[in-house]
Amino acid sequence: MWRYVLKRLAQAVPTVVGVVLITFVLFNVVGGSPAAMVLGQNAGARSLEEFDAARGYNKPLFFGRWTATRALEAVDFSDAPPSVRAQWGAGESGPLRLADGEALRIPFAFPLPEGETWRLTIEGRGTGFPRHGNKSGRFSTVWKKVFHGVENPEFRAEGGAVEIERVRLARGTRHVLDSQLVHYAGRLLRLDFGTSTSLNQPVGNLLRAGIGPSLALTVPILIVELAVSLALALLCAYRRGSWLDRGLVAVCVALMSVNYLVWIVIGQFVFAYKLGWFPVWGFESWRHLLLPAGIGVATGLGVNVRFYRTVLLEEMHHDYVKTAFAKGLGPGRVLFKHVLKNALGPVITNVALALPFLYTGSVLLESFFGIPGLGYLSLNAIHSSDVDVVRAVVLVGALLFTAANILADVALAWVDPRVQLS
Amino acid sequence: MTGHAVIREEAPGGVSFFREALRRVWAGGVSRGCLAVLAVFALAALWGEAANAWYAWRDVTPPWQAQELAARYLAPGAEHWLGTDGLGRDVFLRLVQGARIAFLTGVVSSLIAIPIGVLLGCLGGYFGGKTDDVVVWLSTTFAAIPGLLFVLAIAMVVGKGLLGVFLAIGLTTWVGVCRLIRAEVIQQKSRGYVRAARALGFSHGRILFRHILPNVIHVALVSFTLRFPAAIGTEVFLSFLGIGAQGEPSWGTMISSARLRLWQGMWWELAAVTVSIFAVVLAFNLLGDALRDALDPRLRTVQE
Repeated sequence: MWRYVLKRLAQAVPTVVGVVLITFVLFNVVGGSPAAMVLGQNAGARSLEEFDAARGYNKPLFFGRWTATRALEAVDFSDAPPSVRAQWGAGESGPLRLADGEALRIPFAFPLPEGETWRLTIEGRGTGFPRHGNKSGRFSTVWKKVFHGVENPEFRAEGGAVEIERVRLARGTRHVLDSQLVHYAGRLLRLDFGTSTSLNQPVGNLLRAGIGPSLALTVPILIVELAVSLALALLCAYRRGSWLDRGLVAVCVALMSVNYLVWIVIGQFVFAYKLGWFPVWGFESWRHLLLPAGIGVATGLGVNVRFYRTVLLEEMHHDYVKTAFAKGLGPGRVLFKHVLKNALGPVITNVALALPFLYTGSVLLESFFGIPGLGYLSLNAIHSSDVDVVRAVVLVGALLFTAANILADVALAWVDPRVQLS
Repeated sequence: MTGHAVIREEAPGGVSFFREALRRVWAGGVSRGCLAVLAVFALAALWGEAANAWYAWRDVTPPWQAQELAARYLAPGAEHWLGTDGLGRDVFLRLVQGARIAFLTGVVSSLIAIPIGVLLGCLGGYFGGKTDDVVVWLSTTFAAIPGLLFVLAIAMVVGKGLLGVFLAIGLTTWVGVCRLIRAEVIQQKSRGYVRAARALGFSHGRILFRHILPNVIHVALVSFTLRFPAAIGTEVFLSFLGIGAQGEPSWGTMISSARLRLWQGMWWELAAVTVSIFAVVLAFNLLGDALRDALDPRLRTVQE
């Protein structure tokens, strides 16, 4: 048994690595730094750079010695907009021209901080282009200069005019693997989920604060739903083919087709506002949870009853059921002691796979009824582009799902001797 | 010679399993009703698309956006079939536009998800080994991420708008198609016709896409009918949250505004949207069930 548990754990490692990679690709590679969205349109390059540095967004994605910086936008004079050309004093069009002896004035967005290494790359041509650059034909065309923050890189045309086509600035990293991916993985290993930008709190604290209200809502939903849908499914299975069974199945399909939002909007309007049976909003006592929990149960009932009914019907066809009835057992005994026990496998799997939902909570129920759980937290985070919070919730949800999968397999092997452990 | 004989036996005529299944679906009265309902909504969606294109081309404010403050909160009547909303806009015209966006979402997200799922499922199932390991790893990983949060995260990263909705739904729902196709391809792989094709020296690509694919593609059709309503639900959810459709009426944005009006006694907008979503989703659910029953007798939902 323990070997089986260990084997399943080992099999889950690639999935966990995959989940970390997907969240990285989604938020870092595709999404990029949220600095501009969080700090607003008017934030200066320096505060953006500091935001990036604090969250590791100023590193290369996977690996590299050099990385982009906001201190100087890379410029290509062949298609630079007029505003950029004005910054450089570059005239109307064409490359930036320097006369003999003239030095290049570089419009850094902010003074380069100390203690960093920088690399300035200038591409151009002309008789005055410095001799020690890369050669192409007779003239050097690319000039690179590595320098430190305090120095000022000097580019001067000497012995002739220079035409500059492109200028780039890169910041040096500490080592080749000083990258966002390594930074991200390292933080995760230390269980550091980052800092919320909108709430200015460590994400770990927010997750701990949100889990209680989420569980208070979702655990009752899970238990009541399991009990009710199993009971209805047993009823259907026992009376299969009757008008009761057909009616219940039809109701289930109809329930499945009502939109989730409509359930909540109408439920809140009718039961809380019109009839006044429940509080409309808030999280103060257990009474505040009754309505959202009831709506939660109602929304999942259709799917679950149908699923359990199918599972139970598969069992009802077996010979042992006939035998049990033939030897005079009552329907209750046959259904609960024999059929339900044999159908436990799919039931366990279904419940185990619903466990991660306990943690993520219900996004809509929580925001409609003002329950300060993780669903509410993630929705607010999405509205305020709070990447660290969303990423942490997604990541922990995925890890829990993987764990629940293992749990389901182990539980299945434990309750059902027919399951082969090999 | 035997190879020839086998091929000749399988090739000509007869009613294919797939066609027979479709005939059985068509024979059911419920399925015909569902198809009729879907046809009505599909026509409405097409009309909405045409009207939208027409007004965009003319560069005129379309009537479903025209605010008429004198005609606010009108109950359903002869002039406005489904009444007007809080800004005096015609609910019926907005509902048609909502149908347009809902169908667009269902079709485009399927066009993203089904090719990915079918391709990966075919490759993994047919080649097995390392290829299959990669496919299984990829699908397990995607399946592990909680669906709704994944959708929200993708929509957040891509940015507000329908593109984000399409990508979010498409990139999260290919896993189901992939698994079904993969299982089906593994079954078909050991069939006689595949061995015959291999004995004839056909290339892997030809065997996989010309011989096996037509035999498993019905799985994609069933999954299309079942994922279409789910896609509509997600679109409504995202638009409701303000992440989906921007500046055009979607069923989600309509629920969002009708929700507040409901408390002031204006029920018709919410009722119209609710009934529309219910009808479309129910029709797709019933049709999907009928199709699945016809194609896979083992999975019958109603057992005699």
